Amino acid sequence: MHHGITRVSTTRRTALVAFALALPLAAVTACGSSDEPTPAASGGTTLKVGVIPIIDVAPIYLGISKGFFSDAGLDLKLETAQGGAAIVPGVVSGQFQFGFSNNVSLLLATSKGLKLKAVAAGVSTTGTEGKDFGAVIVKGDSPVKTAADLAGKKIAVNTLNNINTTTVNEVVRKAGGDPSKITYVELGFPDIVAAVAKGDVDAGQVVEPFLTTATQAGDRQIVSNYAGTDPNLTVASYFTSAEYAAKNPAIVDSFKTAMNKSLAYAQDHPDEVRTILSTYTKIDPKVQAAVVLPRWTGQIDQASVNKLSELAQKDGFLTSAPDIAALLG
Amino acid sequence: MSLTASDPAAGRRTRPAAGRRTDLFLGVLGLASIVALTEILSRTRIVDPQFLPPATEMGRALLADLGRVDFWTAFGQTVRGWAIGLAIAMALGIAFGGIVGSIGFLRRATASTIEFLRPIPSVALIPLVVLIYGSRPQSALVLVVYASFWQILVQVLYGVADVDPVVRDTAHSYRFRSLTVFRTVVWPTALPYVVTGFRLAAAVALVLEITAELVIGVPGLGQLIGVAQSSAAVPETYALVIVVGVIGVAVNVFARWIERRVLRWHVSVRRDLS
Amino acid sequence: MNRIIAALLYAVGLPAGLLAGWWLVSDGSTSFFWPPLADIVQAFPDTWNSDRVLADVLPSLARLGIGYAAALAAGVGLGAAIGLNPRLRAFLEPALEFFRAIPPPVLVPVIALFAGYTGWTSKIVTIALGCLWPILLNTVEGVRGLDEVLLDTARSYRLRRRTRLLKVVLRGSSPQIAAGARQALSIGVILMVVSELFGANRGLGASIVQFQRTFAIPQMWTGIILLGLIGFLLSLLFRFVEHRTLAWYRGVRRADRRM
Repeated sequence: MHHGITRVSTTRRTALVAFALALPLAAVTACGSSDEPTPAASGGTTLKVGVIPIIDVAPIYLGISKGFFSDAGLDLKLETAQGGAAIVPGVVSGQFQFGFSNNVSLLLATSKGLKLKAVAAGVSTTGTEGKDFGAVIVKGDSPVKTAADLAGKKIAVNTLNNINTTTVNEVVRKAGGDPSKITYVELGFPDIVAAVAKGDVDAGQVVEPFLTTATQAGDRQIVSNYAGTDPNLTVASYFTSAEYAAKNPAIVDSFKTAMNKSLAYAQDHPDEVRTILSTYTKIDPKVQAAVVLPRWTGQIDQASVNKLSELAQKDGFLTSAPDIAALLG
Repeated sequence: MSLTASDPAAGRRTRPAAGRRTDLFLGVLGLASIVALTEILSRTRIVDPQFLPPATEMGRALLADLGRVDFWTAFGQTVRGWAIGLAIAMALGIAFGGIVGSIGFLRRATASTIEFLRPIPSVALIPLVVLIYGSRPQSALVLVVYASFWQILVQVLYGVADVDPVVRDTAHSYRFRSLTVFRTVVWPTALPYVVTGFRLAAAVALVLEITAELVIGVPGLGQLIGVAQSSAAVPETYALVIVVGVIGVAVNVFARWIERRVLRWHVSVRRDLS
Repeated sequence: MNRIIAALLYAVGLPAGLLAGWWLVSDGSTSFFWPPLADIVQAFPDTWNSDRVLADVLPSLARLGIGYAAALAAGVGLGAAIGLNPRLRAFLEPALEFFRAIPPPVLVPVIALFAGYTGWTSKIVTIALGCLWPILLNTVEGVRGLDEVLLDTARSYRLRRRTRLLKVVLRGSSPQIAAGARQALSIGVILMVVSELFGANRGLGASIVQFQRTFAIPQMWTGIILLGLIGFLLSLLFRFVEHRTLAWYRGVRRADRRM
């Protein structure tokens, strides 16, 4: 009976398959590394914060380096993402305890029933047209000269149906153009600069440091979309989930205090802001010296947030009025 | 008469040793030519060096990477995600396939569901997984397991279906316990299929792991590639792509080696019996 | 008659049961990520109305079709040429195996270096390049595995080169090519989605991600289901075509087995 031969070969073959499975697992344990957060050495609370690597978040980097957060017993671990829309799910799912996102992302999430709480202002516009930290750029030789000319063009933004499309629509509207004819394309900020240079798009909305990188390379600023929408516009905020805030009021308060301290410090020490900028973005010294710094305040301007809500509803992607009081309260 | 050698293990007609050595030499020459071509096209600016840097620059970036801690961390994260996802998929696939395949009713009842769920692209789950897990490794795990599971399941079902009914009936008439029947009758027949499933799943698992890292930002080599590309670090981007390709080749070679060994015995056992 | 009913019950039973289960379990659900199936079904016609189908779904499928067709043509053509020439094959094989081992989504940023992210070109090139390798390498394998006797017989009958190529070489290796084409199809669908996650504003994959970003969860689910349906339909279509073109092969195998 052939049973005998089969059994011997099967055992060996099974061993081979088991080996095949074990080898990758062994490799995994050998060269794997733990990416779980370790408890802070000082015994404080470790917090994961989602941020976008742009100039807006210089204060939080500055605050960490100056020890404002560790003084408050908080050990912050910053993780970068492409845009506010990517950070909100991270906070909701518990991956981050705090996040930095533009206010339209927060309004969108709130209107869909996600319970978020803004804890500190993130960044505000300087209010000065032509000298703001975000603007729409075009190639130096582009036929586009004014905001109204943007109608009918292809514009790259870092997130679709978000603050950048809303504010660009508004400034085009104010200049007399028809924003409904604009085609928006979504790209990361670094890719936007390349796309404008290559001619893949007619214009792009970028923030510092990419704005200065682009203008130093020969691009032209057309309009400051944040300043043009509202001179007091609070563009973004730091936020957490309402659930986390309810469960950890002390931590949220500590974060708020430390954050406001960092914001005030950044507002008063522009040179240190420029230095810290080069630690989390790849920019060269010429750009670093020339970037336009935004305004950092300790207060979220509620009127401007209301305006954003109205504009987003006008654009059609915010389908129901969000509970702004609950978000900002 | 069949058109191709239907015996997979003997599929590669054994060539005289000298012929194989020539093949190896030619193959190495081929790889070297590609490298040389990249170098020439780039240096002579036939292709813009901003898009295709010379091979030496890619090599330099690669060597620099090998000395960086964050590179090896990412390497470990990618391999870990791949291995864990693959292992889970194997376990689920073999268990599920073994049970469903052995019971006729279950097999017929699940056939249509499997045929529908199988072609659903794993990437369709990306938005869902981002909402639930964000950019944590669990996101990648879900995608990897989902995609690999089907590869293995299908093969295991084939394997179980291939069992000789006479042998199985003989085992039953000897009143073997179910587990014994599985061990002595079903498993030996299904084993080659399981190994084929492992090979297919291993490749798919790597694709999905890298996709999750690139698209969602799960930590790993794919994420490094995304960052390198958007920082316009072009030689670095290519260097990382080469690394990922080498991993893919290693996975392929490993899986094929296992498959060949198992199939060879399988075939030789068959030959002994005929 | 009984057999037909039984077959139908088997085919429909579990899926219907699962759907009913999903419906009941999710009914009245307040969970954010898992809305009631009823809501999802309701959202379907509104979300995928004719505008969106025209502007998102059809362009995505068109890009997939063009890329896949290009990969098929190039893969089979080059593969046959390489497979017939043993020296060329030995020369190119390791390099080709290396390119095939690169996970296709990684091509997206690389091709973006050349062709940017926006527009149709980069997406079609990505899909074509990703689908090329399985088809190419399987064609090489299939052509290489052809029985020498068959090739010699064809030559000694002085069959014209084109006839030899089409009727002997390609048809003989078509089972292998079909296997490669099947792999390429699933890679193509993956790339269709992934290529739209960067720099797109319209497309099936882009829509689903947009829904996720704006937390339009029921709509996101409809997109996922639609993508699954499309994957399923494409695989059915593939099997239908494969069935027709490989009918001769099944006959040969059957004859083989009887021998």
